[in-house]
Amino acid sequence: MGLLTNLLFFPVTGPIAGIKWSIGQVQKVVEEELTDDAPVKQELMELQMQLELGDIDDGEYVRREAELMARLREVRAWRERLGKATAGGPVRVSRDSDEA
Amino acid sequence: MTDVPLTEFDSQPPAGSTDGGKYVYCIIRSDRQHDFGSIGIGGGQRVMTVAYRDLAAVVSDTPIVIYDPTRENVLAHEFVNETVMREHTVIPMSFGTVFRSDEDVTELLRSTYQAFSDVLDKMQDKIEFGLKVLWDREKVVANLERENDEIRRLKDEISRHTASSTYFARMQLGRLIEGALEEMSTRYVSDIHDALKSVAVASRSNKPIGDRMILNAAFLVDRAQEQAFDECVKDTSRRYEELLTFKYSGPWPPYNFVNIKLKLEKAD
Repeated sequence: MGLLTNLLFFPVTGPIAGIKWSIGQVQKVVEEELTDDAPVKQELMELQMQLELGDIDDGEYVRREAELMARLREVRAWRERLGKATAGGPVRVSRDSDEA
Repeated sequence: MTDVPLTEFDSQPPAGSTDGGKYVYCIIRSDRQHDFGSIGIGGGQRVMTVAYRDLAAVVSDTPIVIYDPTRENVLAHEFVNETVMREHTVIPMSFGTVFRSDEDVTELLRSTYQAFSDVLDKMQDKIEFGLKVLWDREKVVANLERENDEIRRLKDEISRHTASSTYFARMQLGRLIEGALEEMSTRYVSDIHDALKSVAVASRSNKPIGDRMILNAAFLVDRAQEQAFDECVKDTSRRYEELLTFKYSGPWPPYNFVNIKLKLEKAD
């Protein structure tokens, strides 16, 4: 986690443009991985399918569902930290969409 | 103005309170208040309506929280929509949509009134069915090895020869089988679509889930055609009994056929 924190939160101000660029790229990739909930949702759907087909039992489902929920919460926390939009939580109609 | 006063029906704490939120399940056409009973998300909250003109949002009280898409929560969301659907055409909201207050829900209905109205007209008396079709890959491959001459010949050849000469033959066999599988899956999927076309208004294919699924589709069906659609699915599944597993579900609200992009922002 230490390395990740450095990558994510310390601005890179080194003199070498090449290094700056590549660290920027790494940061972008890491950010995308941390903040993408699509794979977790895909796994959740697969899990539901496995239960429906009788490949796993209820206990197994509940256990793995809990893991996936924890991962979803992690993704949400990262998105919030990085100032990205998050699904869930209270919403309201955007003020600039008034068309009446 | 035709605004329906909402607050006299509901004695929730004012907007901004930490626990006066509204969970929204769906939008219906209705000009009177409804009470759908204590079936809401979060342990059987009372499900009611918030109205604006002839539209109503089906809601229940909720603390301001983020709902995880656990089976329990998703089923609760789904159960409310199923209940409402028995008597209404519904526009389903996405899972987990929470507003801070009745006023914010009314604002949603007011600002999206035209789009909701149009879609409700279009979806009048229409329901959705889900159809997932899976195959047993091993069984299909075994079938192929029996029935496809080229594959059978290549397999025989491999079993007769020594390891060195069979490397390429094996690669070729693998490619042949992959190609044949792809072709069969495409043919099954298009046969199934053809069989159901006449009894459905529209269909949509989603990405298959897992590696055994060859079709993950949603069909929009007229309520009047429900039985015909049902029989058609059963006939088709009987036809492929040996090879394919049909997972048929519904009726659902038209999740896959309503696409209203709401302009929502966080309300913190």
